[in-house]
Amino acid sequence: MRAKTAILIVALVGLHLTLLLAGFVAPCDPGAQDRELPYAPPTRLHFVDASSWHLRPFVYRWNAGPDGYFEDKRQSFPVHFLTSGPAYKLLGIFEAKWHLFGVDEPARIALLGTDGFGRDEFSRVLSGGQISVAEGIAATLLALLAGTIFGIIAGYYGRLTDESVMGATELFLSLPWLYFLLGVRAFLPLHLSPARTFLLLTCVIGLIGWARPARLVRGIVLSARSRNYVLAARSFGGSDFYLMWRHILPEVLGLLLTQAALLVPRYIAAEVTLSFFGLGVNEPVASWGNMLSTLQQYSVLVSYAWLLAPAVALVVTSVIYSILADTLHSRLEFRST
Amino acid sequence: MSYLGRRVIRAAFLLVGVSILCFLFTEMAPGSFFDEMRLNPQISPETISSLRARYGLDQPLVVRYGRWLRSALHADFGYSIAYNAPVAPLLWSRAKNTLLLATTGMLLTWLISIPLGVWAAARSGRMLDKSVRVASSLLVSIPEVVIAVALLAIVVRWRVLPVGGMTSMDNEGLSQWARLQEIASRMLLPTIILTLGETAIIVRHLRASVLEVLDTPFVQAARGLGIGRTRLLFRHVLPVAASPAISLLGFSLAGLLSGSLLVEVICGWPGLGPLILDATLSRDFYLVIGGIMLSALFMVGGNLVADIMLLACDPRIRTGALDAR
Amino acid sequence: MKAIARLTLLVCLLAGVCMAAGPSPEKPNPGEELERAGQVSGHHGGNLTIGGRAEPKTLNPVIATDAVSREVIGRMMADLIDINRASQQTEPALAKSWKTSPDGRVFTLQLRKGIRFSDGHPFDADDVVFSFAVYMDENVDSPQRDLLIIDGKPLTVTKVDQYTVRFTLPRPYAAAERLFDGLAMLPKHLLEKSYRERKFVQAWSLNTAASEIAGLGPFRLKQYVPGQRVVLERNPYYWKVDSNNERLPYLDELTFLFVGSEDAQVMRFEAGETSMISRLSSDNYNLLARERDRTRAQLVDMGPSLEYNFLVFNQNDLSSKKLDAVAQKQQWFRELKFRQAISAAIDRDSIVRLVYGTRGAPLWGNVGPGNKQWVNTAIPHPQRSVDAARRLLKSAGFSWNQAGQLLDSSGKPVEFSIITSSSNTQRMKMATLIQDDLSHLGMQVHVVPLEFRAVIDRVFQSFDYEAAIMALGGGDADPNPEMNVWTTSGTSHLWHLHETEPASPWEREIDQLMQQQMITLDYGKRKQLYDRVQQLIAEHLPFIFLATPNVLAVANPRVGNFHPAVLDPYTLWNADELYIRTPMESAAAR
Repeated sequence: MRAKTAILIVALVGLHLTLLLAGFVAPCDPGAQDRELPYAPPTRLHFVDASSWHLRPFVYRWNAGPDGYFEDKRQSFPVHFLTSGPAYKLLGIFEAKWHLFGVDEPARIALLGTDGFGRDEFSRVLSGGQISVAEGIAATLLALLAGTIFGIIAGYYGRLTDESVMGATELFLSLPWLYFLLGVRAFLPLHLSPARTFLLLTCVIGLIGWARPARLVRGIVLSARSRNYVLAARSFGGSDFYLMWRHILPEVLGLLLTQAALLVPRYIAAEVTLSFFGLGVNEPVASWGNMLSTLQQYSVLVSYAWLLAPAVALVVTSVIYSILADTLHSRLEFRST
Repeated sequence: MSYLGRRVIRAAFLLVGVSILCFLFTEMAPGSFFDEMRLNPQISPETISSLRARYGLDQPLVVRYGRWLRSALHADFGYSIAYNAPVAPLLWSRAKNTLLLATTGMLLTWLISIPLGVWAAARSGRMLDKSVRVASSLLVSIPEVVIAVALLAIVVRWRVLPVGGMTSMDNEGLSQWARLQEIASRMLLPTIILTLGETAIIVRHLRASVLEVLDTPFVQAARGLGIGRTRLLFRHVLPVAASPAISLLGFSLAGLLSGSLLVEVICGWPGLGPLILDATLSRDFYLVIGGIMLSALFMVGGNLVADIMLLACDPRIRTGALDAR
Repeated sequence: MKAIARLTLLVCLLAGVCMAAGPSPEKPNPGEELERAGQVSGHHGGNLTIGGRAEPKTLNPVIATDAVSREVIGRMMADLIDINRASQQTEPALAKSWKTSPDGRVFTLQLRKGIRFSDGHPFDADDVVFSFAVYMDENVDSPQRDLLIIDGKPLTVTKVDQYTVRFTLPRPYAAAERLFDGLAMLPKHLLEKSYRERKFVQAWSLNTAASEIAGLGPFRLKQYVPGQRVVLERNPYYWKVDSNNERLPYLDELTFLFVGSEDAQVMRFEAGETSMISRLSSDNYNLLARERDRTRAQLVDMGPSLEYNFLVFNQNDLSSKKLDAVAQKQQWFRELKFRQAISAAIDRDSIVRLVYGTRGAPLWGNVGPGNKQWVNTAIPHPQRSVDAARRLLKSAGFSWNQAGQLLDSSGKPVEFSIITSSSNTQRMKMATLIQDDLSHLGMQVHVVPLEFRAVIDRVFQSFDYEAAIMALGGGDADPNPEMNVWTTSGTSHLWHLHETEPASPWEREIDQLMQQQMITLDYGKRKQLYDRVQQLIAEHLPFIFLATPNVLAVANPRVGNFHPAVLDPYTLWNADELYIRTPMESAAAR
């Protein structure tokens, strides 16, 4: 248990730190196009050249040839660490120019290759992750918060409240959300700043997503409120709110953790659909959602495997969160028994 | 008023509410069916407005809703502008295919997840449990759209299965058995995609609640009394542990028509999904509203079944020994 | 000759080609006046499957509006005068010859004698008169009605005798013969009843039994499986024969499979379920080209298409308060030097390279190199120059601040958004490239993808947009279909809709030129007029033209007579001549 928790904590911290410091870790500006280098494969790191073995890795430039890209072995470019490069805003506030690693012009170091405009995929995955992970978590929190509140109220009070809240969830789940999204987009100003887009994404997903957790929570609450200790607490004069907070909520927590681990990746992927309606993150800003939508093209999917990076990043992130949820859940279980 | 009676009334209210909101939403969305014709320089705007008038698209919202409601009560759900055919038969012919796919998926899911979830919990901490947890964690983490596209690309690249449609061209010449085989082979990929996602979720939930129940005193007592393992698990533990999972079953039923939309579109299965998606994007709104009402009907029915099962499984809810004040 | 045909048939059977049990063609009888396709040869048999983007919505030629329906219907129907997609010239179809009056207003068409519909019923002038009555009926609201109205007056159709019909136009109309292309001739004996009962719009829906649908095209309806496919079978009475006097079409069956997006079509083609893809993007084309050695597929790049992609700025008269922000920016959009600067700064080479995978052509006018008949080659094609753009902006009163931002004469930073349809990946990519290009000028450009109909709504109705990337054209090579785009009162005059009077002298000149070329019958004179129109458009940039894709098509090696064309329908225009080769023939053809 100890070792596993340690690995988990390292993974979590590593993930979030990398994303927070995306501008520093990434060698390139995520929006910088290089029109001579579209769909270039990942830059290979070399340690051995004609003369000898080097400690510091180096790279060659990609040249476009008739059969694709080939390495231009005439000149090698060593990889520098803690070097200066394109300017960025650390944590969105501080202007900075230091990067973890980089190479001199005119070479490019693209650890995960480039996309259709020659932009560095690695930098885009990192900066995209900032937006997507934040949006996924925020939307999940919103949906679960609303869902829990309504679910607990419905399950606890029963009868009419239950009927009306459950009726509302059914209504929500049946509606044609695509039209609603179209209407919302038509109503909003043409251009939304990145902050507003983020807020919009979160609200829209959270607004649509509260219904399912609410139903699940209500199911648990219905069983939970008949437990002996709840009846006992009530007979001792506990108020409704106290009962809900102290006794019923912990029952629900397990479900919420499972749901959270499940919803975060889905909400990140939901951005793909939303961007179809114009409600997503717009070019040239990167997000995992809009990077994934380019993968819907079959030719891209099978020809340029490195563009699967955001999908892999998404899976890795969600696995980490999933394990986190599991660990928290088992901790809670041990505590309650 | 009986429980069933109340639910039916609630269902009726819901359907009316959904229809009203549908009309409102379609009004909000910009664009209409004939917009595509505006791009053609050879079609005059007079033709377009004349077409709009013929289908009543320029009438005020209330009038349109009133007419639709009146005809709906006579089981006439309007005309599809695109197909120039009545909505109900159009929907039903596709709904059959979707139901086939979704029901098979659901049965498969529950057939796999119940034993898997129970056994994993029973052998908690050991090989089976560990692999189930890892696999379900992984599957849960990958959004369905990613799984679907990945599997599709693999299947196509390596020609593993036929993809798309429900039958092939020579379908009529085959025997009954061969025909069924063919439908099954084309249904395999979408069913697998549906099952994978759902199974992972349900297994996790089930495993968690079975683990909880295994620790309770009455189970310990039963074990002490010498009741066999299998009988213990499936006869005593499962009904109790199942109660949160019943809600999930309700969801499966409720989402029978709408849940497979994504998979149908990606795999080319001729169900409601591609029809409704196409209709939504082209603003063929009587068809869209018809489809939504159908899904709403299923949802209400599914939830009703789920709630009844919940009551049946957990007598404590039934006895109402818990009315607040 | 018959023996050779039979022998070939046997060889095919031996070669294991699956023969679908379609109706065999009727032997040509001397009473029929058939069209002879002199260069065409092949052999009968086989089934061709082609993937479609969606389901057809109807089989009624008069009301069908979507592309898929029209593609299917087009194989079942025939018109009086056809535009040969390869040569782009008109050729006789159901009308074997015609005479034009000297003033170009009266057309007398001689119909072929002895021709029958696909159900065996004879075809004559009554069917023609009936068809045109339906097309022009205001209560039917056919989109094709507008084609038959010139200057607000409909053309008139009179029956002269059983096989002669006279058309009278209200005024002379250049290339009037081209009007007849695509106007399917309807069977009076099947449709008259529903027309009289005013139920024509419901006729020939997808649920109609195959026996109630008849046409003069190479194929007739066999079966419709909802959501999956439409199967057409050979029309045994088709009126064309090949060079060996064998009645066309060669194929026994033609199947349209509803596959979905282009990516899905590529997947099905690779899986061998479809034999042809009508139009491909360059990404998919290059993907299939890489496998060509293994699959032996026939990949054809027909060169630049006739469509043009462009960036348009909102120059409409805006009255609503809500659109104040847009109205303020219009002072930039209306400035010619602003548009010229943008055109100079756009990297068209990169668009062709990155968006079309080099399979495209840059455009500086509305007629591209693909339209060899009408393109004005004298129009300048300036290379990209950011310096020239900056000079133009400077001379128009723009300046730059310390941060490099572009400011207008009143000091406001130049910032605007470009909307485009989110479902079109090519135009989305163009928008991203242009956004980057214009940032070199200090302009802040936002790319706003919107759902397709939302874009149309903003561009045509609400005018709530600043700039948009759209595409037009591709229907026909002739300038007449473009009237509505370039004339002031035209309904596709996108940059300034609902204009009553020309807003500038050059628009007035274009109006006059377009009206003139519409009634000029001589090609040389028309070309001169249209050249001047193109020149004016290229000078005054109401649209900033970007690029055009090449027409790309692919078929599996067994498809014979595969000759894609630059005009729609790209691969099925000669569906009657397509045939399935034997394996020996495909090997020989390589």
